[in-house]
Amino acid sequence: MWNLFKKLAVGLVVGGGLAAIANSQEVPVSFQLLFFIIALVGAVVFALLDAKTLNVMNGGMSFFAVTVFWVFLISVCVAGASFLPQFDPEDEKAKIGKLLDKERKQSAQGKTEELIARAKALDQQVKALEDRLKGIGGGQAVAMTQAPSATEKPAASGGGGAGDIMKVGEEQWQLQECYNCHKLRGEGGKKRGPELDNIGTLLTVEEIQQKIADPKSFMAEGYDKEWQKGIMPDKFKDLMDPKEMLALATWLGSFKNVAVNTPKPIKKK
Amino acid sequence: MSHRLLSVGFFYIHKDRGHRGTVKTHSSSLLALALLALLCGLGISDVFAQEAGTSPVDFPYAGNRTAVWIVAQLHILFAAFILGAPIFVVISEWLGYRKQDPRYDRMAKEVTKVTVILFSMTAVTGGLFIFVLLAAYPQFTTSFINQFYVVFAIIYPALFIAETILMYAYLYTWDIWKGEKKGRHIALGVLLNLVCLLILFVINGPTSFMNTPPKAEGVSPQDFLAAATLWDKIANQSWFPLSLHRIDGNVAFGGFIAGMIAAYMYMAAKTKEERAYYDWMGFVAIWIAVGGSLLQPFTGLLLAYEMCDYDFSFCPYMMADQLSMFFEMQGIMIGLLFLGINYYSWLSVKRIEGADNVRISVLAPIVVVILLPVTMWVMNSWWIPDPMSLAFLLPLTMSPFLLGRFVPVTVSARTVIKIGFIIMLISDAVWLTPAGFVATGTDMPDEMKLPEGWDYLSSMPAKLSAIFTLVFVTIVNFVLYNRAIKQGTILWGKIDFAAQFVLIFLAFTSTWIMGLMGAVRSLLKKYFHTYSLVSDLSAESFTPTLSYSAGWITAITVFFIAVVTVAALIAIRPSVVQAKEPEGNPVPVPVK
Repeated sequence: MWNLFKKLAVGLVVGGGLAAIANSQEVPVSFQLLFFIIALVGAVVFALLDAKTLNVMNGGMSFFAVTVFWVFLISVCVAGASFLPQFDPEDEKAKIGKLLDKERKQSAQGKTEELIARAKALDQQVKALEDRLKGIGGGQAVAMTQAPSATEKPAASGGGGAGDIMKVGEEQWQLQECYNCHKLRGEGGKKRGPELDNIGTLLTVEEIQQKIADPKSFMAEGYDKEWQKGIMPDKFKDLMDPKEMLALATWLGSFKNVAVNTPKPIKKK
Repeated sequence: MSHRLLSVGFFYIHKDRGHRGTVKTHSSSLLALALLALLCGLGISDVFAQEAGTSPVDFPYAGNRTAVWIVAQLHILFAAFILGAPIFVVISEWLGYRKQDPRYDRMAKEVTKVTVILFSMTAVTGGLFIFVLLAAYPQFTTSFINQFYVVFAIIYPALFIAETILMYAYLYTWDIWKGEKKGRHIALGVLLNLVCLLILFVINGPTSFMNTPPKAEGVSPQDFLAAATLWDKIANQSWFPLSLHRIDGNVAFGGFIAGMIAAYMYMAAKTKEERAYYDWMGFVAIWIAVGGSLLQPFTGLLLAYEMCDYDFSFCPYMMADQLSMFFEMQGIMIGLLFLGINYYSWLSVKRIEGADNVRISVLAPIVVVILLPVTMWVMNSWWIPDPMSLAFLLPLTMSPFLLGRFVPVTVSARTVIKIGFIIMLISDAVWLTPAGFVATGTDMPDEMKLPEGWDYLSSMPAKLSAIFTLVFVTIVNFVLYNRAIKQGTILWGKIDFAAQFVLIFLAFTSTWIMGLMGAVRSLLKKYFHTYSLVSDLSAESFTPTLSYSAGWITAITVFFIAVVTVAALIAIRPSVVQAKEPEGNPVPVPVK
């Protein structure tokens, strides 16, 4: 037992020292905790290395010890995984919902749901008509049936103004997770792709669209290796419809911040 | 769905077509329309059931996707064992034949008996997997089977039947083909392994296809697939790396599970001889497992490399976004696995008489200490696949073994192993240091990020260096152990009883890691059944939390190990009991 206390004391000192050094360097607390825990794990490992030999247990005792050990392992795995930061699926569900919206609507399930929604609206209308017929009389009924249907679709949003296009473009930026590789407005990007704040000055909307549809069509200056490796996926033309791609290109084309050094695109195709 | 809604729906369709009439007409025909609409609704239901992502069933509590996941993962675990164990078994049998050591032969036969029982479980879970998949995702399953019709209907069943025949023949010819005929039996084992390998490669075709279906620049995936041959579909980009990763994984897994069986049998042993034998079995099983484990990080890296090369968006999804904490957990578990392996090695050295006198050149601990920073520098300067990194690292890692004899200063084995543990802990710390402790790296606040000057710790070169160092320390310990064996005497059966818990721990950890990485591979498809080809339109197509996944992975692990334990008790215990009981003289029976 003395061995365990001694090793734990060393672990606490080492862990505390590491945490203190990390703290002095403004390393976030979660990392300090990580270093501290690893030091304590080290203390346990070294306590085990120098521990007395465990004697052979009889059958019953072995069974009990194994059961306790199993409970310990299960608890550590479940608790350990829960202790780490958890991704909120609701964030992704909203994104995936938008990405699959069109496909879901086109599917039989989507069509059924749309039919049900329309039927619900019509059901209410029929109820209202029946109520009015009872109270007013047949003459007005015909006129009522010719009233504008509640189920008639409003004007298509596709014909909206530039604001809508920009909104769709920004939404596509988020949905296609372009931010994972490109920095824009100081956010996202891990140096895998060029910063795009000045892309509107360097490329036209059509050229941006071409680059998204065919990543090999342009190469950002200084990104030869990435271009050769084909780091930018050649899949966006299959994931976005032409309107969405145009919206994304239009939105990106509006970024003309000359203060940012967006690398010059070189035409390759 | 109520009949009223259906009827109104049908009414609406008529109205939309311009069949306008009086409300009276509408009201009077409502009942008739309801009947028609019900029929129409039933028709819709049929279509609904066949739609990708929709399902006529809803598995209680877990939901459809988790139900498929549980059964698939269980099937993979059993399959991994029955494909990995024969490799382990035939190596063991061959060693026994070559060394004329009957213990190897006994171990091989015992593991084969367990394998045969688990073979049935593999078939059961495989059948269950297909049923659950068909029930949960009928249309996708049908189209998927159609894509690989020849594989699922001809090649795979034929190989499975061949494997069944060979496996039973292998077990039942054990006592017949011995002595001079032993070579014939080993050849049968090799043949069995060839079929097992073929099965693995064949079934990995459809599996990897779901992650990386074949594609070509400038052609839509659908168009390319329409023109693709069966071979194009099988030999997709992640097929070969996945198969390699699974081969060494299965060997390691088979070894760890055999080690756990040995631990249980050691605990239940009544005699010194039995204890000595199962101590030995645990030792051999673990070292075969370690052989596979040492390769695993590298074949795993190759698989990840190919996946990222196929579609770079896999990389941030794994390392920086939704799955980043899954990989944090993987780092924790692999770190613990390596600590466990080396602790077992330490306990093994402790029971060797004369191990205290074992020494090694001072170059070994020097390389152990400097390897991590040097590898980080090399990897940062010449990243994979630049061969310059190997030009630096190979001579460095080989130097203690090649140049050690020319350096007169030596260090005791115990000291080197302890230094190794410190370095392993530091390597674990490097491996576990992410760019930030956040669930996704997309919108990470600055206060959660590693500050500049520390951020190199979260880079891929740092992670790879940590893995490389863990592997190297384990190899050094293995070399030291071998020296101890040569210079000292092993007291079989005298190992610290704690070693049995280490064996159980290693089996649990390796099974858990397999479960975790199985989930990761499947989740990489994101919201697709087949990546970028067939969308999963169900409400369950999202990345679950690590906590949720860990709960199920643990449950799967516990169930699998419980079944293996029961199988081991059924297959091995009777033979142990039988071996202890002398046959005795036949009792005379009076003749009528």
